[in-house]
Amino acid sequence: MTTARRAPRHDAVHEPAEGQAGVRVGDPEATPLVIEPDVIAPGRARVAPLRREGPEKLTGDALYADDLVFEGGWYGGTVRSEVAHGRFHGLDLGEDFAWDRVIVATAEDVPGVNVVSLIHDDQPILVPIGGEIRHRAEPLALVAAPDRATLHEALGHARARVEALPAVLDPAASDQEFARYELQKGDLDAGFAEADLVLEGTYRTGHQEQLYIEPMAMIAVPEPDGGVTVHGSLQCPYYVHEALARGLGLPTAKVRVVQAETGGGFGGKEEYPSVIALHASILALRAGRPVRMIYDRQEDISATTKRHPSVVRHRTGVMRDGRIVAQEVDVLLDGGAYCTLTPVVLSRATLHAGGPYAVPNVHIVGRAMSTNTPPNGAFRGFGAPQVHFAVETHLGRIAEALGMSPLELRRRNAYREGDVTPTGQVLRESVAALEVLDRAAEAAEFERHRTWTAIARERREAASGFSPDHQLAHGIGLALGWHGAGFTGSGEEHLASVASVQLTEHGRVEVLVASTEMGQGTKTILPQLVAEELDIPMESVDIAPADTALVPNSGPTVASRTAMVVGGLCVLAARRLRETVEARNDGAPFAAVYQIDARTHGTTRIDQRFEPYPGGEPFDDATYRGDAYPAFGWASAVAEVDVDLDTGEVRVQSVVAADDVGRVIHPVLAEGQVEGGTLQAVGYATIEEVKLDDGRYLNDRMATYLIPTAIDAPRLQTILVEAPFTGAPHRAKGLGELPMDVGAPAVVAAIHDATGVWISELPATPERILAAVLAGVGSSDGSGHPTDDPQAEGAA
Amino acid sequence: VSTIRFLLNGEPVEVDVPGMRRLLDVLREDLGLTGTKEGCGEGECGACTVIVDSGLVVSCLVPVCQVDGHVVRTVEGLAPVGLDDDGRPRLSPLQAAFLETGGAQCGICTPGMLMAAQSYLDDGGTADETAIRAAIAGNLCRCTGYTKIIDAIALAAGGGVRIEPTATAGAAGGPSADVVPAEPAGGVGIGVDSDGGQAMADQPPSGSAASDAAHPVVASLAVAGRQLGGQGDPASRVRPHEPPVESPATLADAYRLLADGGPWRAIAGGTDLMVELASGRGDPPTRVLDLHRLRELRGISLEPRTLVLGSMTTYSELLRSRLAGEIVPALVEAAGTVGAAQIQRRGTIGGNLATASPAADTAPVLLALDASVVLGGPSGERTVPIDEFFVSYRQTSLRPDELILRVRIPIVPGREVRFRKVGTRRAQAISKVSLALAWRDGADGPDADRAWRGVRVALGSMAATPTRARATEAMLEGASPSRETADRAATALAEELHPIDDVRSTAEYRSAVASRVLHRLLRDAGGW
Repeated sequence: MTTARRAPRHDAVHEPAEGQAGVRVGDPEATPLVIEPDVIAPGRARVAPLRREGPEKLTGDALYADDLVFEGGWYGGTVRSEVAHGRFHGLDLGEDFAWDRVIVATAEDVPGVNVVSLIHDDQPILVPIGGEIRHRAEPLALVAAPDRATLHEALGHARARVEALPAVLDPAASDQEFARYELQKGDLDAGFAEADLVLEGTYRTGHQEQLYIEPMAMIAVPEPDGGVTVHGSLQCPYYVHEALARGLGLPTAKVRVVQAETGGGFGGKEEYPSVIALHASILALRAGRPVRMIYDRQEDISATTKRHPSVVRHRTGVMRDGRIVAQEVDVLLDGGAYCTLTPVVLSRATLHAGGPYAVPNVHIVGRAMSTNTPPNGAFRGFGAPQVHFAVETHLGRIAEALGMSPLELRRRNAYREGDVTPTGQVLRESVAALEVLDRAAEAAEFERHRTWTAIARERREAASGFSPDHQLAHGIGLALGWHGAGFTGSGEEHLASVASVQLTEHGRVEVLVASTEMGQGTKTILPQLVAEELDIPMESVDIAPADTALVPNSGPTVASRTAMVVGGLCVLAARRLRETVEARNDGAPFAAVYQIDARTHGTTRIDQRFEPYPGGEPFDDATYRGDAYPAFGWASAVAEVDVDLDTGEVRVQSVVAADDVGRVIHPVLAEGQVEGGTLQAVGYATIEEVKLDDGRYLNDRMATYLIPTAIDAPRLQTILVEAPFTGAPHRAKGLGELPMDVGAPAVVAAIHDATGVWISELPATPERILAAVLAGVGSSDGSGHPTDDPQAEGAA
Repeated sequence: VSTIRFLLNGEPVEVDVPGMRRLLDVLREDLGLTGTKEGCGEGECGACTVIVDSGLVVSCLVPVCQVDGHVVRTVEGLAPVGLDDDGRPRLSPLQAAFLETGGAQCGICTPGMLMAAQSYLDDGGTADETAIRAAIAGNLCRCTGYTKIIDAIALAAGGGVRIEPTATAGAAGGPSADVVPAEPAGGVGIGVDSDGGQAMADQPPSGSAASDAAHPVVASLAVAGRQLGGQGDPASRVRPHEPPVESPATLADAYRLLADGGPWRAIAGGTDLMVELASGRGDPPTRVLDLHRLRELRGISLEPRTLVLGSMTTYSELLRSRLAGEIVPALVEAAGTVGAAQIQRRGTIGGNLATASPAADTAPVLLALDASVVLGGPSGERTVPIDEFFVSYRQTSLRPDELILRVRIPIVPGREVRFRKVGTRRAQAISKVSLALAWRDGADGPDADRAWRGVRVALGSMAATPTRARATEAMLEGASPSRETADRAATALAEELHPIDDVRSTAEYRSAVASRVLHRLLRDAGGW
């Protein structure tokens, strides 16, 4: 019944051989992975090449921003607000410090427009004297010093004069709206009137910190022409470039942004690097020397963006047979103090809020509000993980209410080819919801395990009170998700990205893109795609550094768009290069003649600009009708957990993840994305929690904001599914964000299967689980000990 | 400023730097080896992991004075020197395995992860998933989900990759080599000094050869960055909070220093003090007394009816000690819950007591064991029962001129001890609640009624100090572990202690879980 094109299993799935001692060990004979020529599909790797920059990363030779040394460089630091809301009356420089040893900059020293350029011009680079302070970590002034000891001393002697004002910390209480979107389909009232059962629920998620292991780092170097070059840890060179030109009042030609090796981003280095680059540049231009701004972990967590907290309300009408007939969803996001990317995050949240289900009558409203907390921003999934947690947990409760298997409920409602989304988008092709669902459920033996866990629950119920056998409760849970590939709506058209491929006069082929490598494999897959298109060895294709002096603006490295959108541009550019060279060489194959051609014709460069994908209805940003995305990726996860009924502690034992990516370009890197994203989702589900006090993050250290270690991490099994997207020349869709959407609801469903309680707020901490278990238990024994009642439903 | 000499990746090096400077900073800035990364500056992420002698440390928590005369290995020492035939850096078998399986993504955790993996392989580690996970539990990775890292280590351990000797292999000593600190070796002063770049001279240029060729500007920049690492103005490397340090070689020398009156702050493994210094929180000490050379404070020994732990006994020494494993298995279990390998290697039992965190992992067990603490200073030695040692929040009965010398644990026949720690995650976690329960079973005595004697209930993270729950103990004394007893004890404990909300957990949860864990331990003991 699946309508997705099912590739042969040996083709679509790269499953490393079983190794000794139960460890999956890659057979050295099997790597590099070789796929027989007769199954080569467009974009398919014949060989999974080794990571391009891998050797340098493994020897310690790779240079991250803090590894770069510039002679005479000073150290920059930031004076920040210590109130959540207030007015900045001035900066007092204490008399017991020799201020001539350092450089101090305030808003008056911003050479250009005092705005961190992004969607709205609301965020200042530095709060002006007399200006409004809108969050607890807001930058007020900057200091540069010749060494870190002097910097520390100077920062300790600078005092901001601030008048505190009442702060708004609850988005539901805020009257400042960043954005609002609404989707409507069918007749909601008629749908509810028809329904056999109507179920309501409210679901909450908190902040999540990206926690890239390399903190933010930026070094600004003043140039003799009055311009500036910035080297840093960043995802989007041209975002930084634009912000610098505007904030520094410089022509774009005098601004250069070079990405250093970047130690993880996950969205966290999408917009905030612009702030640090501006700060470092303002100081560098004032000091006339390089200035390094390397955040320590505490400053990084305190000041930089997080995943938006959410409150999502669902009201759903279903028939006894499981068909969903009415769906009303209200999405509320906490945007924090400034707009940053919030409208785009909200847009994606709203568009995905209904889940991957064909429902005839739908009404979805999304709102994002302002609070006096540091701005929230991009993080892998970009609004989708929050709404997936809500809709998938809600579906689990519906399945329970109907007495239906959660797998079967999803099978009955999941999108199929030809279905229509709430924006009126017809899903013409590349719909693999059922396939990922069934592949994950089969691999995890979902239904069989559910039978066992149900028996165990009954036994616990039968046993009264404590029993040594019943300390650990085992459970299994499942979730399904969808993720729009690439930018939302008309985003790519507005962006009009350019990627270039050139044959140099030296006979090398070179890829020129602004897409950055931050671990996901950009530097490997783009040369690979070009080498395949040109039918030349991968080693003959170079990729230029992400340096705005060298590469065109191929757009930001976000939204899982690099492999799909930029990869497609590279393939098309290579195709045109091939045609050009072959045409002037009497049709001889490119591989045979390109070296000679280079000597004769010199450098040939092809710039490929994005063109809208063929077919499809244009998206109307005003009405939110049309094709919201060129295609969707599909993901399913099955998680197994053990819950300690004494303490509420959760151990996620395993996760099977099935993800449809259109075409697998590089199996090893693709699996790496699924595994890493799944573990971030497991962390989001269980332990990653930001606690706030009066607008300040309390756990602003790695000792207090915890992510899973290797012994917390579950065993991860990845199934890569290929439902090709014919709009892209290489058939690939996005990948990086897919696994982030489904991991958390799968874990929460497994916790329910184990304990009988639904946890409606992420993370599902032991505190919340134990409270729910105890609330669902009668106080008959007076001591609050569990009776292991599987029907207990304390939290939902 | 002190002159520090050590063997770095097989080469003798000498640096003139403040003794309290972090090993991490000396490696990265004074010596220009930037392969070792900083992710958190407080020993949590493991990105700065290096091998000192034969064990893992996080170099952000090691003052460089403590590696004087020792052997240090960093990621730069893993691979054979030079380039391969294609002009790429040569790789060790372990590095090659990471490259093949996809064990490195963004690469920032990779150097530290490789050192943890190398240490595991050096110790004879095999392709065992559970063991590999434990070996890298102190190294956080945010990209991979760990799967391909585990695959890589298993591949390297399982013979799938040919192991060939590397430039620096064999530097590791035996498993107990770190128990006694090595003497500063004579004649190691030749080599890279603070203004030399010799250690980098053999390093290949950075960046792929192809990119370098295509973009000479960037290439020269990258190479320049590397060369300048150890050459920039040394004055620019000064960091806040690098207080002067003395490293006496004998206890008598230490006492002479302590006798001069002024306040000293002692450093043992540095897992607390180095975090405090880096964070800039609180008032930094004006001077530091380094204990790592004091042999008198090391070692685990047996006296009549007493187990004696030198205060500088590390958690990993406890974990390896057969004596401790036989006599105080619960203490060994507690030591295994502290941090992960890197912290266990450095943290000491004396340091854990002196810091007196209410969450100190070994404290509840020591309270349950009726341990005593031997303190010493210029005016002599004295012995303090451990339940009188903790005075108030992070305050102990240690006087400013005293050091913790030893911990004495009475050996009590028939005593059972159980320990349970509840934390946010399974490694590298500070406890939300920890509980130790000790008792002697009356079945061995004249009253064969299974009545318990000598009951101790001790808890961490439940009060301002590690604490005994005396009312609960009294309730359990003479009782037997029946269901009714367990219910009453759980209730008594909830009434007795009043924990607080903090960043790790809530008062409500702590109270409930302490009771439930006690109930569980009684249930297990009662066998019902």
